[in-house]
Amino acid sequence: MIGIVNLCKRFGEQTVLDHVNLEIRPGEIFFILGGSGSGKSVLLKHMLGLLRPDSGRVLINDQDITAMPEEQLLRVRAGAGYLFQDGALYDFMNVFDNVAFPLREHTRLPGAQIRERVREVLVSLDLKGVENKMPAELSGGMKKRVGLGRAIILGAKILFCDEPTSGLVPIRSRDISDLIRQVARRLNCTTVVTSHDMRNAFRIADRLALLQDGRIAALGTRPEWEHSANPAVQAFLQ
Amino acid sequence: MGKLPDRIIAIFAEIGQAVYFLGEVLACVTRGRIRWTQVLRQIYEQGAQSLVIVALTALASGMVLALQGYVALARFGAKEYVSSLVALSLTRELGPVFTALIFSGKAGGRIAAELGTMSVNDQILGTRAMGVDPVEFLIVPRLLACCAVVPLLTVIAELVGISGGYLIGVTQAHIPAGFYISQTIKSVTYVDFFSGLIKVVFFGLIIGWTCCYQGYRTSGGSLGVGRYTTQAVAYSYIFVILANAGLTKLILSVWG
Repeated sequence: MIGIVNLCKRFGEQTVLDHVNLEIRPGEIFFILGGSGSGKSVLLKHMLGLLRPDSGRVLINDQDITAMPEEQLLRVRAGAGYLFQDGALYDFMNVFDNVAFPLREHTRLPGAQIRERVREVLVSLDLKGVENKMPAELSGGMKKRVGLGRAIILGAKILFCDEPTSGLVPIRSRDISDLIRQVARRLNCTTVVTSHDMRNAFRIADRLALLQDGRIAALGTRPEWEHSANPAVQAFLQ
Repeated sequence: MGKLPDRIIAIFAEIGQAVYFLGEVLACVTRGRIRWTQVLRQIYEQGAQSLVIVALTALASGMVLALQGYVALARFGAKEYVSSLVALSLTRELGPVFTALIFSGKAGGRIAAELGTMSVNDQILGTRAMGVDPVEFLIVPRLLACCAVVPLLTVIAELVGISGGYLIGVTQAHIPAGFYISQTIKSVTYVDFFSGLIKVVFFGLIIGWTCCYQGYRTSGGSLGVGRYTTQAVAYSYIFVILANAGLTKLILSVWG
């Protein structure tokens, strides 16, 4: 379970997160929706301790990660996966080495098993035959899939996806959303996705939250959103 | 333009962050968190990239020193001291400083640009997100390689520069080859050689620290990469020159 308690963050004069409270249940696919610059990515980064809040707490399985030193946080992060908007692949490594990186860092698996595991993941993400390509040779959608492969290669128990469909044509957005759902169900991992892509969010989310002006303006399942009288939800849906 | 006190505070904050950054690197090194394969790869890349330009500059410097020295010393009937002039100038001062400055521009700029691009493309943040310390993975190997490569390149530069001086001394000044070599060996003492070498270890540290720090903290997309890379090279130049003045004074007062 991920718990966010009274989380506040300011950058200079701008308040980005203003007493945010959330509870994300184990195994659910949770979407954080909001317009550009609403603080979705900032909130997501706090959930993995990549940013420190000004006040408030982030709890992962009842452990307060905001109080942890960086060294301890590194161990927490190793158990989670994070898909960045553009994949954030190492551009000096090919696809194989990028996906194998977490295995090499956090396990003592022999080379043959690493090769086998990477191939399995790449095949499951429909990326067969791209092992030797460099990230610069990949399309935007492929980069995101490779990034997803790298995020899940250790069998993440929590998966964070930052705007996974941004910059993709609708068909590719649908593909990557379906892949995230498949992966989340297969690994039975808690999945948190930030997006402004409402259509795909409605297709795969168990619950959705709307972040507006640094606060959670709405929270609920798809049917609850569709029947909501909340003006913020209505405005966002339109 | 901010107010003057704000700017002064910002400068001190910047210095504090840079020192903290170096502290993180040193903490990794002292705990033995060194990826030797990466260090060797960086040594190869940084060394190979700078070798030709360092050697060419050293060759030209040695030749020019010998030419100028020959003309000047001949006026006093002391042209046979050209070899000493070339060897001492190169080992004590010119070899270390030229090598460090060239290395700053070539390899230092590359380090800052590489890390800067990684920073703006979220690769450094991605490293942390995967539970890996980016300082250990990306910075320590580059900084250690700088400390190793600059002295290596300096020794090569000194040898090539002395060879350049030899060519001019023998062919233009008509100094006998054997005499030139024996004079060179006689005039350069251990103190001359190692005083230069000690300086370049510090220069390597300064260049690595400055360029890694500037690259690591880059923000602002491709414009930011350009800005921070330029800053990295400019600051390295300034710090190397300032450190050279300080270290030269210190070494001379200790060793004479």
